[in-house]
Amino acid sequence: MSLIHLLLFPGGLFLLLVGLLYQWLDRKLVARYQNRIGPRLFQPLADTVKLLAKEEIVPHGVHRGLFVILPVIGLASALTAALYVPMVGFAPAYSFNGDLIVTVYLLSVLTLALGLAGANTLDRFSLVGATRTLTQLFSYEAPFLLALLGPSLIVGTWQIGEINAYAAKNLWLIVTQPIGFVVALVGLMGKLELPPFDAPEAETEIVSGAMTEYSGRGYAIFRLGKDVELVIGLTLVAAFYLGGLSNPLEFILKTLAILLVMAGLQSLFARLRIDQTVGLWWRLGALLALIQLLIILVVKVAL
Amino acid sequence: MESEIKTDNRFVVPIGPQHPALKEPGHFEFDVDGEVVTGASIRLGFVHRGIEKLAEQRNYIQDLYLFERICGICSHIHATAFAVAVEKLAGVVVPPRAQAIRTIVAELERIHSHMLWLGVAAHEGGFDTLFMYSWRDRETVMDLLETIAGNRVNYSANLIGGVKFDIDDSQRDAILRGIDFLDQRARYYLKVVESDETFLGRTRGVGKMTRGEAEILGAVGPTARASGVARDVRLEAPYIGYADYPVVLVLDDRGDLEARFSVRILELFESFRLIREILSRMPKGELSTRVPRRIPEGEIVLRVEAPRGELYYYVKSNGSEMPERVKVRTPSLCNWASVASLAVGHKLADMPMLLAGIDPCFSCNDRLVTLRRQDTAQTMTWEDLRQYGIQYYRGKRVCP
Repeated sequence: MSLIHLLLFPGGLFLLLVGLLYQWLDRKLVARYQNRIGPRLFQPLADTVKLLAKEEIVPHGVHRGLFVILPVIGLASALTAALYVPMVGFAPAYSFNGDLIVTVYLLSVLTLALGLAGANTLDRFSLVGATRTLTQLFSYEAPFLLALLGPSLIVGTWQIGEINAYAAKNLWLIVTQPIGFVVALVGLMGKLELPPFDAPEAETEIVSGAMTEYSGRGYAIFRLGKDVELVIGLTLVAAFYLGGLSNPLEFILKTLAILLVMAGLQSLFARLRIDQTVGLWWRLGALLALIQLLIILVVKVAL
Repeated sequence: MESEIKTDNRFVVPIGPQHPALKEPGHFEFDVDGEVVTGASIRLGFVHRGIEKLAEQRNYIQDLYLFERICGICSHIHATAFAVAVEKLAGVVVPPRAQAIRTIVAELERIHSHMLWLGVAAHEGGFDTLFMYSWRDRETVMDLLETIAGNRVNYSANLIGGVKFDIDDSQRDAILRGIDFLDQRARYYLKVVESDETFLGRTRGVGKMTRGEAEILGAVGPTARASGVARDVRLEAPYIGYADYPVVLVLDDRGDLEARFSVRILELFESFRLIREILSRMPKGELSTRVPRRIPEGEIVLRVEAPRGELYYYVKSNGSEMPERVKVRTPSLCNWASVASLAVGHKLADMPMLLAGIDPCFSCNDRLVTLRRQDTAQTMTWEDLRQYGIQYYRGKRVCP
């Protein structure tokens, strides 16, 4: 049973395919917002197959083992995180008190792996990209976590499954905690390095950031890791703020609704410089998330 | 790469010759301290094509086509500059209708160039939506050019002594309709670049160049006008139709990237107005006049206002069918100095937008050949270069 959970559902193969599907949806939506046609349905899969079939070049001056293993660690941790979230509306495969924290940190491992991968090479674009990736990690991580903490405070548990069940029975938390929802949504965009938070991989400045030296397999795995993270992030935000996920239909509708908003936000803004990103998060994001927490605490004590 | 990182404390970020931000090859080295740029150097010349030399081996009519291919974006203005220079040398008077048509095509070209630039500059700042929208709308003006000239890029409107095609009533109506649409779109873009918060965060106060600096650095065109330098060849030395249909100068004192955006967009409105005015009172008459094949001996300097700024042509005739010497200086060359001096102190993330801010055109301005090995720089004459090339390929065993 646990092998099925790991390799087929909700981790493993299923999640990889859903990840590719959501990548396609994201690209297609952004393309339509920008009045382009966008990729075909099989484009992400075709890209992945092509990359996997290509030669992987290991540049001079890198630690070979790290270079190969870092993408795998990133993808593996993202896939592991899927075990604790209500994927497709089913109850999480595994659950224990505190799995929320574990999930959030498993999701961060991908970013960490990316940063280390960039710092591992001698390429200057990679080094600048790695610095930016890690800087960005430090800026959105705290507000994002605080935003996920709000619902968990209301429910009084650290267990994603229980928060999901509570959200399904009560008033949608987006109504009572709108600030938390916005911070979580924008935090997710920062986590995934989507525009306008794509300074770590700004192609007009530093080519592809930390991933510049990656080609073939390593690059494909990093991209898959990001796709998986997109799905898990959407699931988390939908489960917490949009009234929980109790069946596949709800999962599809709610995650798609968030994706629609996210694609809109992606096409609405110019890229933020890394100093602007950090400023935005610490001056505004963290503050808003803290205010939200304070309100929750005050209300909880008063009741 | 290794040695540069480890031996000294400079951390150099190279941009180019191949880089996603550059659509043409150029090499820029930015010394960075964290994200802040502490030094910048520019190396050009990757796409030197020897056009000036080629021109000496072709007759004037062939040269017209050659010069039209100096730049893919401002092709018409190059041909116009050369044609006007040769006409002046030959002492012929071009019919006013031909001059009006040249002016219309020149202004349509300015519209297409500025809209292309708007998209590229937005893309450099990571604002891809504006990029896609402006390039979509740019298709309108490309279609108009195709309608009147049959070509989207090298319109080939000029003859020496006139133009090749007329603009009839249905084409006039098409142009007016297209311009009305673009007018409305340009208003929208002006609103976006002047009010979008994230975009202003990338442009306002970035790359600020005062009027004095712009004058010292020899900036031309919209880049200079965005710093408040009142410099426009269309007004200073009117050519083709600009004496009959004067333009109104667009000036901005702010000098930053935001000003460069708004100056270029406001120039679009000026072009719309000018085209409408010319079309409303087009002179009647012939389209071309006869010009002798042999151009009388003499030399001439001609300046025109390309979309990017002052374009300079020097033509020397020795009385034969071919020019003795043609010298071209494109506006991008004048604006590079401003980039190199403005870069210091800005963030690395601002570099692509700063570069794009002058609307650089690499292959037009590449000219001098310098070879840089270690720390030696040398300038080679044509003959030296030829010998060097022969020796080089002999060593490579590719030359028979």
